[in-house]
Amino acid sequence: MAERIRMANDRIVEINSLVKRFGELTALDEVSFNVNKGEIFGLIGPNAAGKTTTLRILATLLLPTSGRVRILGYDVVEEASKVRRLISYLAEDAGTYRNLAGYEYLSIVARIYFRSKRDIEEAVEEAVRISGLGDRIMDKMKTYSKGMKRRIQVARALMTRPKIAILDEPTAGLDVFHAQHVRDLIKRHISNGGSLILSSHNMLEVEHLCTRLAFIHKGRIITEGEPEEIKVMYGASNLEEAFLEVLKR
Amino acid sequence: MRGLRPLVEKEVKNLLRDPRIYIGLIIPIIMFPIIGFVISMTTSQAMEAAREKIKVTIIDEDGTEASERFISLLSDSGLNVTVSAKSLDEAIKSADKLGSKALLVIHRGFEESLKRFGRVNIEIYSVIRSVGFKSMGVQAAVSNVLKRTSEILSSTLISRVAPDVDPEVLRNPLNVTEYSVVKGKIVHAPSGSIFGQLMIGHGVLVPMILFVLSMTVTQIAATATAVENEEKTLETLLTFPVSRYDILLAKLLGSSVVAALGGVIFAAGFVLYFQTCFSGIGLEFGVGGLLTELPPPPSLSYAILIVSLILAILFVTSLGVVIGALSSDVRIASSLLSVITIPVLLPSLLIVYGSVDSLPLALRILVYAMPTSYPMIMAKEIILTPMPMQVIYGIPYSAALTLIVLYAASKILTPEKLLTLQYKIKLRRMKKERRWELE
Repeated sequence: MAERIRMANDRIVEINSLVKRFGELTALDEVSFNVNKGEIFGLIGPNAAGKTTTLRILATLLLPTSGRVRILGYDVVEEASKVRRLISYLAEDAGTYRNLAGYEYLSIVARIYFRSKRDIEEAVEEAVRISGLGDRIMDKMKTYSKGMKRRIQVARALMTRPKIAILDEPTAGLDVFHAQHVRDLIKRHISNGGSLILSSHNMLEVEHLCTRLAFIHKGRIITEGEPEEIKVMYGASNLEEAFLEVLKR
Repeated sequence: MRGLRPLVEKEVKNLLRDPRIYIGLIIPIIMFPIIGFVISMTTSQAMEAAREKIKVTIIDEDGTEASERFISLLSDSGLNVTVSAKSLDEAIKSADKLGSKALLVIHRGFEESLKRFGRVNIEIYSVIRSVGFKSMGVQAAVSNVLKRTSEILSSTLISRVAPDVDPEVLRNPLNVTEYSVVKGKIVHAPSGSIFGQLMIGHGVLVPMILFVLSMTVTQIAATATAVENEEKTLETLLTFPVSRYDILLAKLLGSSVVAALGGVIFAAGFVLYFQTCFSGIGLEFGVGGLLTELPPPPSLSYAILIVSLILAILFVTSLGVVIGALSSDVRIASSLLSVITIPVLLPSLLIVYGSVDSLPLALRILVYAMPTSYPMIMAKEIILTPMPMQVIYGIPYSAALTLIVLYAASKILTPEKLLTLQYKIKLRRMKKERRWELE
């Protein structure tokens, strides 16, 4: 119990020796890392490195082959329903309900997460504000641009005030303005006391956004630390150089 | 269950606003009255044509007083008669040119045969210029005039032989009044009318509506779930703090609500079809007229009908969710749907057009294997057999089968299983397409 309280205070995510196999393919091989309260943790790597698989396991969508994954002390396999109350997940290619208005969608999600009318209204109000969609929030989502759809999804993921937000490539495919808007939302979530884990292959974005990160390649964590720490460790001027240097060694 | 209500709301709103769904739902209410209107219009045209003076050409080979009287009788009965003295071939050409609808030949010996009380021979050559209800109406009208004329001739002949006898009595000595006995109650109607009403109402109309309802609900559930896969919303949905059963139940309820609406629209369209069809030709349409004379089925029968209907809808909706969940897009869902259409369609047709008890064993098993069959059997039998045993036994069977499908559906609603199954189905489809290309 004491350990659980301690973990609830400091350690939000704890991953130990996580292995995930799809038939013959080993997608994750002995992956271990932690995410602490108030952190923006970046999982960095090229395509097919194992980033999405790790996040899907955290989001209770996939089952680990072996290893242990806990969120605030709750096991993602044994206590999946409790974990789902603590997290929110944004998939890389998350779609929207074409025939619902953005406002309707946010209201429906809020009613799933909150009981009282006041909490529901506050959550929706907050989501509408952070989405920055203005009057367009009342339009059907099939009329939204890619950027607008992503903003509504980010708003949906953050409005539920999750203990840990799990965002897979949150700015993928967005133009510079929309990407900046999403980064601001992420920072605001942290300043409101939340924690966040994200995946990205945009090293520059991660360097400026994440408090701590891990390089993942071919299903293995190859290095972990704060961005500055990693750059110094590998004598690199930026994370991209550091990543290439890690691969060389 | 807290998340159920918003999830059902999401399903219903998203479905009712989807053109793929609402267009399919509103088509019957537009299509059926149009079909009814077209049928009533063509039938009216035929009747109108039959009421006009129809041109006929007659070759009078007999040339006697009797044959002339017969010709004037035809003329008085509504035919526009032109007498021709030409040969048959020439008369046919002339009839065609004149626009005659038929050519009648009165053979030599007409008067003589009548005097001997023998049969007289009349030949009719119908001139067919087009195929349609109007032409059919005209030819039927010519036949009717001849029938009426024959009756007049018959009455004249009978009066000559027996002046004190009513010719009609001699022609039809039996005066038959028909009654039907249904469930021990005498109904003042011939059995044909009862069969007609039972067949149209309970034997065809109700099972057909139930069949359409079953197919609509399966299609809606499959499409709704496949769209979640296609639009990549299912993954997000599965991370919400709601149970897999709530997600499944929301899909079942949402699809059923929309399908029930579709069923009501279909039924309304069907009624409109009958109304436009019958009112156009001056007939009254009403379901149940004679049947109201029968004792109504006990309320337990209706309860059994409702339970079997709910189970059937739950069964097909669960099946639809399974199909949709296994499909990575709507196209694949549509192909998979056609696989289950046949086992639902075939028993329905067997129930509508035949008697299940007289079917071969294999077909009987197929009928009883589908939970959708039981409400159809119940609807068909409810008037004559309020508690069909097969339906009573069918309810626990349907409930068990539905629970199995529901359980299977809830089990496959995990990305781990869905991704693997969808990948396998896609792979099989790609292999098949490649094989076709090679062939």
